[in-house]
Amino acid sequence: MTGLGDRILGLGLLVLAVAYGWVAQQWPEPFGGAEGVGPETFPTILAVVLVAGSIYLMIKPDPDAEWPLGKPALELVVSVVVLLVYALLLEPLGFIIATTLAVGTLSWRMGATPTRAFVSGLLSAVLVFVLFNYGLSLSLPAGLLEVN
Amino acid sequence: METLGFLMEGFAVALTPYNLMFALFGAFVGTLIGCLPGLGPANGVAILIPLAFTLGLPPETAMILLTSVYAGAMYGGRISSILLNIPGDEPAMMTCLDGYPMARKGRAADALAISAIASFSGGLIGTIGLILLAPVLAKFALTFGPAEYFALFLLAFATLGGITGKNPMKTVIAATLGIMISTVGIDISTGTQRYTFGMLELYEGIDFILAIVGLFAISELLFFVEARMGRGRDQMNVGKLTLSFRELISTIPTQLRGGVLGFIAGVLPGAGASLGSFISYTLEKQAVGRKGTFGEGDIRGVAAPEAGNNGASSGALVPMLTLGVPGSGTTAVLLAMLISLNITPGPLMFTQNADIVWGVIAALLIGNVLLLVLNIPLVGLFVKLLSVPPMYLLPIVTMVAFVGIYSISHSTFDLYFMVAFGIAGYFLRKLEIPLVPIILGLLLGPEMEKNLGHALVLSDGDWSILWGSPLAIGLWVVAGLGLVLPYLVGPLLRRRMNAAMKESPVSD
Repeated sequence: MTGLGDRILGLGLLVLAVAYGWVAQQWPEPFGGAEGVGPETFPTILAVVLVAGSIYLMIKPDPDAEWPLGKPALELVVSVVVLLVYALLLEPLGFIIATTLAVGTLSWRMGATPTRAFVSGLLSAVLVFVLFNYGLSLSLPAGLLEVN
Repeated sequence: METLGFLMEGFAVALTPYNLMFALFGAFVGTLIGCLPGLGPANGVAILIPLAFTLGLPPETAMILLTSVYAGAMYGGRISSILLNIPGDEPAMMTCLDGYPMARKGRAADALAISAIASFSGGLIGTIGLILLAPVLAKFALTFGPAEYFALFLLAFATLGGITGKNPMKTVIAATLGIMISTVGIDISTGTQRYTFGMLELYEGIDFILAIVGLFAISELLFFVEARMGRGRDQMNVGKLTLSFRELISTIPTQLRGGVLGFIAGVLPGAGASLGSFISYTLEKQAVGRKGTFGEGDIRGVAAPEAGNNGASSGALVPMLTLGVPGSGTTAVLLAMLISLNITPGPLMFTQNADIVWGVIAALLIGNVLLLVLNIPLVGLFVKLLSVPPMYLLPIVTMVAFVGIYSISHSTFDLYFMVAFGIAGYFLRKLEIPLVPIILGLLLGPEMEKNLGHALVLSDGDWSILWGSPLAIGLWVVAGLGLVLPYLVGPLLRRRMNAAMKESPVSD
């Protein structure tokens, strides 16, 4: 079936729109009575528009995009994991170590040789750290490298 | 004359050494952002916002910095068009047509020089147009009531996809999603908690800066990872400058035509810089007729689209500054900066924040001169930087985005949020849902709801006030056309643009 991507998206958006609209009807009436526009008026309109849009998508979907499969898909997952781990380790490990690892891994996975990738990671990490901490006096976490 | 006085005050703001330094820095970084493939102007400006914010720059300096980056990016886009036949940004697409053939003939240096000069004239014409038109439009916009504003916002969304847009329904969906995200948080007028699910981080709503950076920067990285384009392309030799003075003079009419056409395309809703450069190129081709060698490296084929796209980029600032309604992705990001500086965009800005508006306009003029001066001697440097492969560049850009977001709030929660937006951005782009309406929805959503509320309070709950004045009806009609026209005219225009691209003998 063609247009599967758009149909799935349309279904997802329809669920979202209905849930979004339904939640809006549950809010208590604001103190002082209802006026022309309550907190739920605008979200209700949006929900209606999105319901219409999602139904249109399901009826008239565009041709499918090419989705990555196999190795490219794996590379994408790896990149996302690297970004999440980077966010997780930024404070405990400190900026320089975490950045070297993150930028290095990404460069390496994008096709650089490991040595060059991690060297470029280290250089950019040190440069940005020095620039921010001393040049712009914005503190980035030093983490393990903290000198007491 | 009043305008001239304001402009002088603007120059007084922009010419202070501190602001001048940031304008120079912005122009340099902007050119860099423009010429590097994979780092578009909207993306580049977005990454710089958190930095401008955390540096604690005064509002006029922050705006001058970002406007210079914006102008610079439009200059930079041409470098990779000419040397690599890949446009650095979308409006630079038409420059490939004659720029790359020129480079192949060994006239790369000439193509770069003439395009820099044409960019300068285009930018200059556009900025003069901005100076003349903006105050008039701002005065007119003061007569808008809440109902007219509500209709104007709808018009902005409806025309954002542009006449060449593919599927207007997807623009509508994208805008709705953006506005929905903006409703998260505590409702300003009633204090009701909306969609917070009891999470403290969501009480103040979702910060649009992290949404913008996530949607643009992170999704770009993912696209490059998928396409395995990490290695970049072979470099072209720039060679010596052989441009004669006579040749330069002969392109002046071309530059003037291109600049004016571009400016008009930039101001009009739904057109934008890409269409500006396209129109300039096609009309130039018709004006010159058979005498030209368009597509084979005609010098006028380089000058026209470049003047057009720089004229358009200044033109696009007109609706952004006067109405608070941006017409393109990059101006939307500039609007984000204004809002986060606590400046209410719109016609009142011309009276309440005159120093900022005119400082920015003066900076645009100064920036154009700086860019011309920077671009001619430093072109070699930019060309060298162009050869840095994306596999080193993009991870570093991503890291800078992380640093920027982290330094705003010092919270890793925001970083996860940004990555989540990046993943969403990747899927949406794959499904051809445009990202710019989402951003615009995020930015304009609260204003839209506020104006709807005001309009209904004024009319005692009568909804017909929304189309109660001739002006409002006019805006609704244009908005409607913005959605319908792409169906009627879009396929035709797109076919022509594609045909123009195919006509060029070099397509690898």
